[in-house]
Amino acid sequence: MDSRLKETWESCVKCGICRSVCPVFKEEKSEPYVARGHITLLSELVSGNVDFSEYEAKDYLYKCLLCTTCVEACPNNSETDTIVEIARHEVIKHHGLPLYKKIMAILLKDRALMDFAFRNATLFSSFLFKRNDDSSRASLKTKFETPIMEKGRLIPKLTKKTFLQKYKDYSDNYGYLSLFPGCLINYTYTEIGDAFVNILKKLDISFRVPQKQLCCGAPVYFAGNFEDAAILARKNIDLFSRVNSRYIIVMEPTCASMIKNDYPKLFMYLEDKEYEKKARDLAKKVLDPVKFLYDNTDILDRLKHLDMKTTYHDPCHLKRAQNIKDEPRAFIKKASNFTEMKEADRCCGNGGTFSIDYRETSLKIASRKVEHIENSKADYLVTGCSACIMQLSEILHRHEDDHIKTIHTLELIDMALDGGNNEG
Amino acid sequence: MLKKRAYEKLKRIFKDRCFLDKLGRVQYSYDATQKMYLPDIVVLPTTTEEVSKIMKIAHRYEIPVVPKGWGSGFTGGALNIDGGIALSLEKMDKIVEFDEDNLMVWVEAGVVNYDLQEFLKPYDLMFPPDPSSWKFSTIGGNIAENAGGPRAVKYGVTKDWIKALEIVLPNGTVLNVGSKNIKDVAGYDIVDLMIGSEGTLAVITKALLRLYPLPEHKRTMEIVFDDMEFAAKMVSNIIKNKIIPTSIEFVDKDAILAVEDALKVGLCKDADAILMIEIDGSLCEVEEGVKKIEDICKNSQGVMSYRVAKDEKEADEIWLARRSISPTLKRIADGKLNEDIVVPITKLAQMIKKTQEIAKKYDLPIVSFGHAGDGNIHTNIMYHTNDKDETKRAYKAMDEVFDVCLSLGGSITGEHGVGITKQDYLEKQVGSDAINLYRAIKKAFDPKNILNPGKMRL
Repeated sequence: MDSRLKETWESCVKCGICRSVCPVFKEEKSEPYVARGHITLLSELVSGNVDFSEYEAKDYLYKCLLCTTCVEACPNNSETDTIVEIARHEVIKHHGLPLYKKIMAILLKDRALMDFAFRNATLFSSFLFKRNDDSSRASLKTKFETPIMEKGRLIPKLTKKTFLQKYKDYSDNYGYLSLFPGCLINYTYTEIGDAFVNILKKLDISFRVPQKQLCCGAPVYFAGNFEDAAILARKNIDLFSRVNSRYIIVMEPTCASMIKNDYPKLFMYLEDKEYEKKARDLAKKVLDPVKFLYDNTDILDRLKHLDMKTTYHDPCHLKRAQNIKDEPRAFIKKASNFTEMKEADRCCGNGGTFSIDYRETSLKIASRKVEHIENSKADYLVTGCSACIMQLSEILHRHEDDHIKTIHTLELIDMALDGGNNEG
Repeated sequence: MLKKRAYEKLKRIFKDRCFLDKLGRVQYSYDATQKMYLPDIVVLPTTTEEVSKIMKIAHRYEIPVVPKGWGSGFTGGALNIDGGIALSLEKMDKIVEFDEDNLMVWVEAGVVNYDLQEFLKPYDLMFPPDPSSWKFSTIGGNIAENAGGPRAVKYGVTKDWIKALEIVLPNGTVLNVGSKNIKDVAGYDIVDLMIGSEGTLAVITKALLRLYPLPEHKRTMEIVFDDMEFAAKMVSNIIKNKIIPTSIEFVDKDAILAVEDALKVGLCKDADAILMIEIDGSLCEVEEGVKKIEDICKNSQGVMSYRVAKDEKEADEIWLARRSISPTLKRIADGKLNEDIVVPITKLAQMIKKTQEIAKKYDLPIVSFGHAGDGNIHTNIMYHTNDKDETKRAYKAMDEVFDVCLSLGGSITGEHGVGITKQDYLEKQVGSDAINLYRAIKKAFDPKNILNPGKMRL
């Protein structure tokens, strides 16, 4: 294995500091669910001292949010996320890919198939879900108990027209920006993407939406399926290396972090030097939308002050993976009455499939945020990630805090740019 | 066979709070020494009764039991060197009774030191012992190792703050020792005997801690030296002038470079040594102390510069640098012999000078930092583990460091304990009569020798 990757775990001195910050450990209170345990497990696995199938070791491998809070706290910067991803992959390499992961990969690799699946899901959604408009963000509520979701769980409503379809007229023409909405904005929270498009139009900034883009691959990569992740990564790299936009705006922090940080690591692991270099080149052009607006436009000065009480939640993949924390706050402070909540950067507990696999733990972690949100007295919880929005709006609903609306930083900026005569 | 029956029994009782599979056991096989010893079984009790149950089974089947907290020890005290049961107390993490009127608190052994401090803060109280690992070490572990910390110069160490304990004896008997009384001389002082016993006599399940008001004010100073010896002399000079700071920490050149490399907190890279000083108390006490030290700085040799932290943020940065040294040393070499020798503060300069000579003689980096204010120096002999010759030299250098330390009237360990890593040196310091007495005491508590066997020359 590439020695640069080995360094990520050989730097661990087993001091235990990760125990003091890990959100999962706080709920579970035992060593298998903290970075030091994960790291030991992987080094033992790689050195051949232990072997296990995914089935045997599911909890040890998958009960990690990949939130990187421990990486931030670690004096040696041991990269737990990389370690856990590699461990998951090593297990799959030895013991094969479980069926559900095969299906997920097939779906993600084919845009038409994925659109088809979502269209059908929309069709059937009235059967499976009921609308829920009084929660902090419009959503659907499951009507039945299913193997992956309990009854009463909130999920975002599926959009009738995906973001890509909506802006397909922008596919070929030149654009200063190329937009990569990410699956959640493409299929569910299209309105967040719309907000950004509105802002760009008001600022007269040209953009394009390449239609051939695929899922960034994070869901398969995080599941240890490096081969299929690499297929998606190569296709996206090839596509976006060809576009001549100045920046590629990746709206979901997880996708942005995947493309910027994980693509190079993935090809490092696969020892594909050509694509490792291509990935590093592409990474230089990838930008978060809020960061773009902050660094490259004068929009901050143009925002009106709205009479809204706000607070902000730092998404892991925005703050820790991309070091973006001051930019969104600058906009929110300008546009509203902002109160900083306690532990704003504490992970919301979503963690992608973590919230399905470990529902109870995920909700416990989310609940720890509720008190801080309530204490901020905000009417609007602002954040910069769709997965966080999904998780936080649901946990607020569960705590009967539906009066607190969960919105994206881009939506707030869009409202304030309109002139401040909006609701609120 | 018999053991297997005992383990099955434990698994039945503790279910998912018990690991018999190798993956689970691997995760309780190490501590901060980075050595690994696989336990046969891991049990995570949540109550004293459960601990007692475990001890009864272990006693009956004569199985070794190693109690542990968060596994952040530096001497292997919590390693299952003979297999057996890893009894991990991390789930016993409740604050049992907060007695604000008596300034005392009963806590379970698994409460993390820092979490307790956070709990006490709104009441303007603190538990003075503050080991550098306070965010990831438990009160139970602090007591078992008699942990110190930077504040020890003024506030002493763990043993100065423990009033009573609930312990479980090796045969499962639950015993309460000590009391809330400020004065209490009835019988042997078992509380003090337990403190620093490294889990060899009984399992500590609860502790009654004495608390102290949080100081109203504190200031942090940083003094930069171009020669380490002058830094060491400064320490005894400060004390001689009857200033008792909360803490005087000491960082040498290699430590400065390692931590600056990792954290970029703006430490002076040209310095040969840095002293970090904290003074607490009332406003005039603090201001007078700072002024006196500033005066000493002005009249001392070797002081390159000094500064008083402007605000809390600057002070925090200085302390963060200090607390992060230990884990960042891996940047120098992958192997380290981490010693925490202690000498009377008047001998500090001599000790450091000798250590530098030893480093030169064996051609190895020896990084020194630590609690200079109480004479406690963390001496880290760095070597590459894949280099056999270097490894050999490192151990020889360590022998010499210990010899010098003892010849100056020091001790081989100030706060990390003996465990397995220092047990070969213990007899040299305390003598064979003392070791025999230790063994007799151990036998009185644990005739079957099941509790943390093989540690401390026991």
